[in-house]
Amino acid sequence: MLASKSLGIDFHQSEKQTLFRFLSLYILLTVIIISVFSFIYFELQKDLMLQQKKSILQKYSKELIEDLKHLHINFDKTQFYPRSDKFNSAIFDSEQKLIFSTTQIKLRLDKILYFENEVIHLVNIPESYYLGAMFIVVEMKDDKMWSEQTKKEIVIFGGITFLFMLVIGYVLLRLFLKPMRDAITLLDEFIKDTTHELNTPVSTIVANIEMIDKSSLDEKLVKKIDRIDIGAKTISNIYQDLTYLTLGNKIISNNEDINIEQLVLQRIEYFTLLSHTKKITISSKIVEETLLYADKSKISKLLDNLLSNAIKYNKVGGDIVVIVESRKFSVDDSGIGIAEDDISKIQDRYTRFNKSSGGFGIGLSIVSTIAKEYNLKIDISSKVNIGTKVSVSW
Amino acid sequence: MVKKIILILSLMFCFANADVYEKNCVECHKQLPVSIDKYFYKYLLIYSSETDMKNAMISYLKYPAKETTVMSDAFISRFGIKKKSKLSEDELKEAIDVYWQKYKVFGKLK
Repeated sequence: MLASKSLGIDFHQSEKQTLFRFLSLYILLTVIIISVFSFIYFELQKDLMLQQKKSILQKYSKELIEDLKHLHINFDKTQFYPRSDKFNSAIFDSEQKLIFSTTQIKLRLDKILYFENEVIHLVNIPESYYLGAMFIVVEMKDDKMWSEQTKKEIVIFGGITFLFMLVIGYVLLRLFLKPMRDAITLLDEFIKDTTHELNTPVSTIVANIEMIDKSSLDEKLVKKIDRIDIGAKTISNIYQDLTYLTLGNKIISNNEDINIEQLVLQRIEYFTLLSHTKKITISSKIVEETLLYADKSKISKLLDNLLSNAIKYNKVGGDIVVIVESRKFSVDDSGIGIAEDDISKIQDRYTRFNKSSGGFGIGLSIVSTIAKEYNLKIDISSKVNIGTKVSVSW
Repeated sequence: MVKKIILILSLMFCFANADVYEKNCVECHKQLPVSIDKYFYKYLLIYSSETDMKNAMISYLKYPAKETTVMSDAFISRFGIKKKSKLSEDELKEAIDVYWQKYKVFGKLK
């Protein structure tokens, strides 16, 4: 059983972000490529259609020139412009001035064959300018059959290509993520093994220190024993964190009404010796006594992690104040603080914002997991080089 | 009142121009078997636009030549090349304007 699995986490937040970014980029690129190819294909089909219609329009144009020739010869007898059901037409002089038109559409004379507003146009220059017509434009409506057929083909082939690219993307993603998954599995296995190996020696050290009668020892030896006690407690904390990490979800909760102020005082006492190494003063401020229905060991773990972080990231000679209010407690330190942008990331596993202090970066992740279990609200407010305040409310 | 004066002046101008055309063009062409409008459509067939056509006509009337005529060889061999016009540049322009207005295709097609 992986430690990450026991926490109910399959992917780290950054992994999810990587996954999301890669997929978004991949899908965007796929859509762009398919769109570009679809556009090129559509344009090619349009050209093909225009070439097919060109011969028909040339035939119509020839018919019109013949009719214009007759009209030119007999202009003194008739001025009726030749019309057809099959096409519309217009004639222009050499200055591109419209002589006559059977269409309302504004025509262009700079292209020989063009498709505009669903109408196909052919511009022809006859050998003789009957009625002064140097440019003869014939146009016919597009039957749209080609465009419907082409769009259908684009949708079918585009869809198949998109699905195919998605499958390839999925395979690529699995290949890319494999080293990341392996690294997380390795770290999980390492934590699990370390936890197992730490159990016996830590228990032995802690038990034996507690059994020592300090009153019969001289002052120098008491100091040495205290230092061993601090070291043992630090290892014990890490051990408990790691145990929670690997077995947390399996531990059956023994929920009860916890006196938060009593727990706070108890945990402060536990950390007093450790805080003295950095000359840190831990004090408590009980505004109002409050109860929380939860597993005592888990809430104790939560508080331990907050206090441990407050000591770890505090400056020498700093202060820590634990405030207990109605349905709320908070740990306020005078430490290095956290940059505003990093506050949202702080509850991620293995995230540390000060490389100078040791640790696995799992403390706040455990806090977050416990808080989630009991619907506790965690608020972190921090200012760099001034301090951090972590509030837990319910 | 002003409108009336403008209208009268315009009409007078047209009649005056028409006079140049009627006296100097129609009078001579009446005597030929080919009616005057046929020359217009011959020019139209080759020059297409109003500007090109008028320029070509004035040029030909000033310097008539076998090389620049729009009429067929058969026509030229039968009737020959016309004599050089004695009209001034302005008179020629006036006459050609009337000729264009009378036979132009613009606005006549139905």
